[in-house]
Amino acid sequence: MAAPEYDNRPGDEEEEEEEELDDSSYKTIKDAVLFAIDVSSTMLQPPPESDDKKADRDSPTSAALKCAYQLMQQRIISNPNDMMGILLFGTEQTELGDGDSTFQHCYLLADLDVPSAQDVKRLRDLVEDEEEAAELLTPAVDPPSIATVLFCANQIFTTKAPNFSSRRLFLVTDNDNPAKIKQDKDTAITRARDLYDLGCTIDLFPISRRGHGFDRSKFYDDLVYPTSPSDPDAPIAISANTKVAQSGDGISLLKQLLSSINSKASPRRALFTLPFEIAPGLRIGVKGYILIKRQEHVKSCYVWVGGEKAQIATGSTSHLADDTARVVEKGELRKAYKFGGDAITFTADELKQIRQAFGDPVIRIVGFKPLDMAPLWANTGKATFIYPSEADYIGSTRVFSALQQKLLKSKKMAVAWFIARRNAAPVITAIIPAEEKLDENGEQTMPPGLWLVPLPYADDLRQFPEQGDNLKTTDALSDTMRKVIEQLQLPKGAYDPSKYPNPDLQWFYRILQAMALEDEIPEHPDDKTIPKYKQINKRCAPFLEEFGEEFEKEYKLQTVEKRKIISSHAKKRGAAAPEDSKPPAKKRVKKEAPDDGGGVGGLTDEDMAKINDKGAVSKQTVVVLRDFLKARGRDTTGKKPEIAARVQDYLIGKGF
Amino acid sequence: MAGKEATVFILDLGRSMSEKQVGRSTTDLDWALDYVWDKITTTVATGRKTAQMSVVGFRTDETHLAGVMEDEDGYEGVNIFTPLKQFLLEDIRALQEKLKPSATDEGDVLSALAAALTLIDAATTGKSGNRLKYDRKVIIITNGRGFIDAADLNAIASKAKGDEVEITILGVDFDDPEGGYKEENKDDTKKENEATLKTLADKSDGIFATLAVAIDQLDIPRIKETRPVPNYKGTLTLGDNQNYDTTFTVDIERYPCTMLAKPPTASSFVFRTDLGSAPGPSTQSSNTVAGDDHAGGDLSAVRNQRVYQVDNPDEPGSKKNVELDELERGYEYGRTAVHISESDANVVKLETNPCLDIIGFVQGERFDRYLAMSRSHFIVPQKANDQAQLALSAFIHALFEAECYGIARLVPKENKAPIIVLLVPRIEPDFEALIDVELPFEEDMRRYKFPPLDKKITVTGKVIEKHHELPDQNLMTAMNDYVDAMDLSEFGRDDDGNPTEYMKFEDTYSPLLHRINHIIRWRATNDSYTELPSPPQILLKYSAPPADLVANAELEVNKLVNASGVKKVPPKQKGRGKRSLGDREKPLSGLDVDELLGNLKRVKIDSANLIPSFKQALAATDDLDAIQAAADEMSTAIRTYISSSVGESGYGRALEAIRVMRDEITELEEPEIYNKFIKELKMDILGGKLKGDRREMWWRIRGSKYGLIDRKRSFASEVSEEEAAEFYKATRRERERHL
Repeated sequence: MAAPEYDNRPGDEEEEEEEELDDSSYKTIKDAVLFAIDVSSTMLQPPPESDDKKADRDSPTSAALKCAYQLMQQRIISNPNDMMGILLFGTEQTELGDGDSTFQHCYLLADLDVPSAQDVKRLRDLVEDEEEAAELLTPAVDPPSIATVLFCANQIFTTKAPNFSSRRLFLVTDNDNPAKIKQDKDTAITRARDLYDLGCTIDLFPISRRGHGFDRSKFYDDLVYPTSPSDPDAPIAISANTKVAQSGDGISLLKQLLSSINSKASPRRALFTLPFEIAPGLRIGVKGYILIKRQEHVKSCYVWVGGEKAQIATGSTSHLADDTARVVEKGELRKAYKFGGDAITFTADELKQIRQAFGDPVIRIVGFKPLDMAPLWANTGKATFIYPSEADYIGSTRVFSALQQKLLKSKKMAVAWFIARRNAAPVITAIIPAEEKLDENGEQTMPPGLWLVPLPYADDLRQFPEQGDNLKTTDALSDTMRKVIEQLQLPKGAYDPSKYPNPDLQWFYRILQAMALEDEIPEHPDDKTIPKYKQINKRCAPFLEEFGEEFEKEYKLQTVEKRKIISSHAKKRGAAAPEDSKPPAKKRVKKEAPDDGGGVGGLTDEDMAKINDKGAVSKQTVVVLRDFLKARGRDTTGKKPEIAARVQDYLIGKGF
Repeated sequence: MAGKEATVFILDLGRSMSEKQVGRSTTDLDWALDYVWDKITTTVATGRKTAQMSVVGFRTDETHLAGVMEDEDGYEGVNIFTPLKQFLLEDIRALQEKLKPSATDEGDVLSALAAALTLIDAATTGKSGNRLKYDRKVIIITNGRGFIDAADLNAIASKAKGDEVEITILGVDFDDPEGGYKEENKDDTKKENEATLKTLADKSDGIFATLAVAIDQLDIPRIKETRPVPNYKGTLTLGDNQNYDTTFTVDIERYPCTMLAKPPTASSFVFRTDLGSAPGPSTQSSNTVAGDDHAGGDLSAVRNQRVYQVDNPDEPGSKKNVELDELERGYEYGRTAVHISESDANVVKLETNPCLDIIGFVQGERFDRYLAMSRSHFIVPQKANDQAQLALSAFIHALFEAECYGIARLVPKENKAPIIVLLVPRIEPDFEALIDVELPFEEDMRRYKFPPLDKKITVTGKVIEKHHELPDQNLMTAMNDYVDAMDLSEFGRDDDGNPTEYMKFEDTYSPLLHRINHIIRWRATNDSYTELPSPPQILLKYSAPPADLVANAELEVNKLVNASGVKKVPPKQKGRGKRSLGDREKPLSGLDVDELLGNLKRVKIDSANLIPSFKQALAATDDLDAIQAAADEMSTAIRTYISSSVGESGYGRALEAIRVMRDEITELEEPEIYNKFIKELKMDILGGKLKGDRREMWWRIRGSKYGLIDRKRSFASEVSEEEAAEFYKATRRERERHL
């Protein structure tokens, strides 16, 4: 068997799209996050009682645990291969899993690993069950020093996530000066440096004690490093400086913490580092980031149920020669194109030459155009964000900034030739400027920079489906519709993705989680993409009615004229467009959409019901059944028995 | 789109075709063949059985009519090389041998044409004598220097016209008044022949052109047209028509508007090993099995075989193979396996019904262009539905007038996941439609933060407006002038010479797609060659700013380059001397941690804190012995990780330590220290000296490419790239010996 390929230092997560995926490769390992949560008397102090519904009810520790719980569930969805662990420090109890007692008063609530259902359950119990929480969350009389906690984290990272490219310690505390004497502070500084040298980042989530504040300069500024050891030349985000969260500040402590932690939920990683040729003879350095990407749920896998515990089976592929069934090493494989019933082969070198005939990876501006020359209909895929980097060219940031500001001001874009990496296909891309966007708390929601929006080649444009001589609207008719549109503006007249969780993804994980935790299976999905019908009706009904009347008038007028020209034809049309192709917005009785489906789907419901009564549904051809289902918007895939069954289900649903 | 086709190429193979004309380095025949092969290979590449071709030569040495004509009389010097059929690679190869200039100038192009028309007639007529639906074409390529008996010209032309055969005549150096070409000193025969052929083209409604024009057009990539197929047929709805009376419902269909055209993909093959006695000619084996995965000649297709493994419950640390029938479907929830029985398979699926429901509207100018994340679709009214036409037209125009876009929930098929789409009006002179593109959900956004570009904020929160990373007024002005000078919106010229947009979508061709197609076609007719041709120039046209424009904007370009003051960072000055303590990263406060620790000269390697102490030890010294000592201690620790590993438990730590050691030693430019270590480690692992079978560890080292540091990675290395590659490979022999 061929040796499996190991991928332990992934720096090129996205690159896989281009490369052939090796099935035998181990999971692409990414990010390991260890939460270290301070358990002390002040951290456990609940907020003062309040009648305000929005007021805090969580102690800082409990808010931190809730955050961890939420992050854990979220990461199972978004980063299913990433690790997470939770370490409590300052607890009366000591527990580090393997009976180790080196680190007194440290309690490893969840070991650093890809979370299991058990970990989620454990955390949920702690968050939801106050008794259980109270037992564990008892502060120690003699809490461990920060140095001890850091070294403990060091050991956990070293043993549990030895070759992860991103390792981060999320430290949640309200103590801005935990060192009593200088020597303690020096030890802590040394331990922080060790972590840095190990390749781990400390992310501090400070909480303000009531009436005390949190002064980083007292202690933590000596421990926290501004750059990430795994990506030293990445642009430094506004801060390693997470805002200090505090109770009673309008929004709850939990929300503040969640928002800070969410912004760090996934480690930032550049997709590429490229020269950006702004003008002939002027190159700067940029890094590309994927900020928008469709999140899919995990693919199904094989589970071995032969043992006591269900286990995921890992697959590996070997190649066999078709003629002799001989095992073939990867190096023996040759690539060939099928052509005229034969294969046309090239050597590996030639293949490289063919693909790389267009020069080195680069983003090269060809010229500039007004923004509207990249219309939405020309979209072909997701955009990539770019941001300057000084690593290869000093002065990149200021030139990039000048370009971004000029494009914003003049509402222009650049068009560029873009090769993302060696072997990648050249793309013509629009470069579109984006302004920084902040929310009401001054937190960044969209970064400032430039976006590469891929443009279509002539080969990518599909022709417009042929239409006959269609009826056209009039100004009066459009104007009535316009009133409806004006009534139904989304908040601020803009689309905000954060308001719309993916209903399919959420449902998938809710069910999976329930099954994994052996909870009851929920019955009703929460789908925020379903329009708010009641509101729509309330706001638009009168305008729609007005439109309906105007439409009737105009429709009659236009069709009468049309009929004059082709009178016999019009009748035919009437039949082809069934009764049900509803005059829009006419007052009408409730009825289900393709009710009588006459003509369009071949058979009517009644016809099909009669056939069914004779037990003859399966005697119909697949084409007839498919057409029937298709006309009713049902699934038409699968083999004949499935299709026939679906037809019968449909009829039953209709009460036949 | 693609109907049935019957195309006959009539090729002049007369002796005079072997001549070279002034200004060309190839013979007339080779020049003509460039065109013929391009046309033939383009058709072969489509793999369509219904695209039939035939090649007929005239002025050939042999006469061969393949039974098409009853009598050879009058058809001397006409050779039907291949009857009408689907061409395969072997046909191309066989034809290549035959298409050579003859030793004669005898043979009449009109005889060849008559034979071709008969050929087409026979192949495209149904059993009952009805004419089948075919695109019939004859393409004649000649230098017009043979003898033409024009007596039957009218009859032949009307036969072609009557049979709906399109005749294209491409002449070598024929006069082309439109293109401005005129051959000097044209001999009288040719002059007369040109006139005859022109008459033929005119009388049969055919095409008459000079070959140069056709050859020029070969470089323009051909675009494959795809028939529009709807992927959603249903309603566009505003409101809930189940529970409310007043709603807006239109029957619509959704078709692709953009779709990335993908280059052909290569499949995997392996050289046959069972050729046994003597490798036979490749043609022998290539037509028996016409399966899809079949490759002719000495290549064999490759099958994939999957093996599944689980941790062996009886032997912790080891794996065992399991059969497919012991496995059930499931999903991973974190690291927990959730098994879902066949009957429950749908439980994780969200139940949905097909719909396109409007959620609300947004203002066009407040929409961020970069949010659109998919290809686009046309939404048009249901065919032949007047009401839908009028209603959708009203909706499109209302959106357009209000400068708004719609936001809608789309479920294209029953039980498919809902997506959110943006609805954009598109009104063109000849059509109108709604366009949709997909928008991201909350989970699709990665909220990374980046510092502002127009100001600097310090750690303490102070805002700075003058900084070397911010552009000054001079740079802003230079950028402003440069961007305006390089405007393309009116740089192009339309057919009438009026200014128009430069680099329109329809003028740009997918470079890789056409490059691969081009090279496959080229390779099909070039079996032996020394180097691959470069891509056609048209594919590189838009890879850089147009030269004229740059020339016009020279002043602005120079001003911008000067104002920007960008300096390329020289390749890192590495090496021991440069690695002073002062360069080490500092915490936010800027504290010098090393000074705090008293600038130790010698750091002891602590096996419980291996990697940090190793890095610190190297940072503290530039003494070679000390570096060697640190490396030795690393080496010991790595061996301990491996030898004390239960199963593979210690391999990850060992691998990380090896990586750090490799990186650090490379940076110190002492590759020999590492190379010696890794050579010894490999021998110990494969020699079984680290307590048991540790080959898995070696595979991981190999997979991670942590082998020898070669010259490419460090100039101080004495190991060549080949040697470094061999270091990985050598293991195969070792391993096989082992097995």
